[in-house]
Amino acid sequence: MRLMSRKRHRQRRRRRTRHDGLIASFCKKKCSLRQQDDYSQSAAGLRPGLDLPEDIYRHIHALMPLRDAARAACVSHTFLQSWRRYRNLTLSKETLGLNVNGIDKDEMARDLISKVDGDLISKVDGILKNHSGVGMKKLELNLYCCRKVDHCYLNSWLRIAFRAGIEELTMLLSLTSEAEYNFPCSLLFSGSEKSIRHLKLSSCVFRPTAELDCWRRLKELLLTNVLITSDELECLLSTSSMLELLWLFRCKEIVRVKIPCQLQRLSFLRVGECRKLQEIESNAPNISTFDISGSNLVRISFGGALQVKNMRMCSYQPNFIWYTRTKLMPSVPNVETLRISSYNEVHQTDMKHDSIVGDISHLRQLPEHCHDNLKSVTIVGFCSAKSMFELTLHIIKNTSSLQCLTLDTSFGSYGCSVDKPGGCNPMGRDIIKEAHRALLAIRTHVEGIIPSRVELNVSGPCSRCHAVEH
Amino acid sequence: MATREAGKKMIMLKSPDGMEFEVEEAVAMESQTIRKMIEDDCADTAILIPNINSKILSRVIEYCNKHVPTTGATGAAASDTVAPAALAEDLKIWDAEFIKVNRATRFNLIQAASYLNIKGLLDLTSQTTIDTISDNSLEEIRSFLSTKNDYLPEEEQTIRRENQWAFQ
Repeated sequence: MRLMSRKRHRQRRRRRTRHDGLIASFCKKKCSLRQQDDYSQSAAGLRPGLDLPEDIYRHIHALMPLRDAARAACVSHTFLQSWRRYRNLTLSKETLGLNVNGIDKDEMARDLISKVDGDLISKVDGILKNHSGVGMKKLELNLYCCRKVDHCYLNSWLRIAFRAGIEELTMLLSLTSEAEYNFPCSLLFSGSEKSIRHLKLSSCVFRPTAELDCWRRLKELLLTNVLITSDELECLLSTSSMLELLWLFRCKEIVRVKIPCQLQRLSFLRVGECRKLQEIESNAPNISTFDISGSNLVRISFGGALQVKNMRMCSYQPNFIWYTRTKLMPSVPNVETLRISSYNEVHQTDMKHDSIVGDISHLRQLPEHCHDNLKSVTIVGFCSAKSMFELTLHIIKNTSSLQCLTLDTSFGSYGCSVDKPGGCNPMGRDIIKEAHRALLAIRTHVEGIIPSRVELNVSGPCSRCHAVEH
Repeated sequence: MATREAGKKMIMLKSPDGMEFEVEEAVAMESQTIRKMIEDDCADTAILIPNINSKILSRVIEYCNKHVPTTGATGAAASDTVAPAALAEDLKIWDAEFIKVNRATRFNLIQAASYLNIKGLLDLTSQTTIDTISDNSLEEIRSFLSTKNDYLPEEEQTIRRENQWAFQ
């Protein structure tokens, strides 16, 4: 049977070659009749509509989702060969059909959880060990639910991926792993030192060293809950001149993020909740999106931030609004979209902020500074604090380009609707009352001075989720 | 023959059953195979497209006509007034209607898309095929794709065991 298949394959290859030759010779000679006769003869062997060439089967197979592709491997040798070279491996409980949805996890017996974890590990192991190593471009290991994964497994899987010359690697380990996994940077030298373009890691130790030349083609680096020091990060960044995206989230060893000017392509920078972070110094000239969140006030200096167009900031710091306006905004004069989420005033339990309600005196005058490119401003967590109104009134007064101003006195709704209520973030009674005070103050102090060209959107507590008696 | 019509360069495509189709060069160049020929200066006269009969070729041209990027005088006006997201949505609906064809036509379209190297059409036809077979049994998949089971029984058992998880 196998022999027959090979013979057929050879016949098909001959046919295809003849056709390719035909189209070329026709072009050279610029005639048609004879070639058409030739074509009629060669085409007589084809069975259009009934059979497909093997390369098309492979193309179809490569587009199949993981489970379908694994099943189709049992169809024939052609599909098996394609499976052994499957390009994008996304391995998780979901893709491997180990979904435990519907089972109450609190009540789920510990041994059942560990059985599912064990199944996941053995399936991932089986798939990777049976992969030929050829053609694998992307590997995603979603193991965030497995508290215990033998590090020998992880090393052997990464060895297979790196030998294959992987381009995109995602490895998400559990936040509550029993032991920290040390990402084996040196293994990259087994074949992927020149190919790795996208690296996304979570919950591991990552100690890149300077002498490694494997970051030269790196375009995207995303680290969540990863142990890496400021110096190690700086070292990595100094050798990754192709980097376009940098995302650092909950990397608790990082104190300083220093981005060298060599990173000409870096356009997206997001740093979130790195609790020891004190300073971001960026000299990359082409950052267009800058996003920072966290509970600590970070010194931010942009050496070449003229390109920043989108800025999102989220903080719990009391002086955050003032700092944003006076220190940060002048250094990003071309910003077009600004989104500020401030939880400082409204999250105070005693609600003792300096409210504008009933007392509009003593508003600080902010330094004159025009924002000629700013088109859209969103403030989430808007309250009646004077600092909020100082900033808002300043923006309205000094931003001739402003098109849209959104003041959100709640904390956003996530899928809450009449049909499906309950999607909003919870708000305490005092916070809901404060939101209503803020709405009143917006009506009094903002609505009257808003230019007609500016669209003002004001949102308050959700009437379904946050209804209280006044 | 390559001619000009209203300032646009035209290309003649011929199917092996003798039909001729005059199409804008930009439309023909949606096919990477034809694009290469034009760029290599091999396309002064009509281009014969072997293996693709007039019925399929006309469908392929219909697809390319719809998917050619809107540039030039009239095209720019069209893309200025319609948002990219709306355009993409419109194309998606159009594609879904376009691919409502019988199995033989679809397979002919896959082969034509592969031969002419039209990625969008190849992905569309392949994806529709995947959607059709995704919940079928192995025998049904083999039958739909007209492919034979070339495994020895013990080989098939081994590979079934290896991928058992995908059948659960």
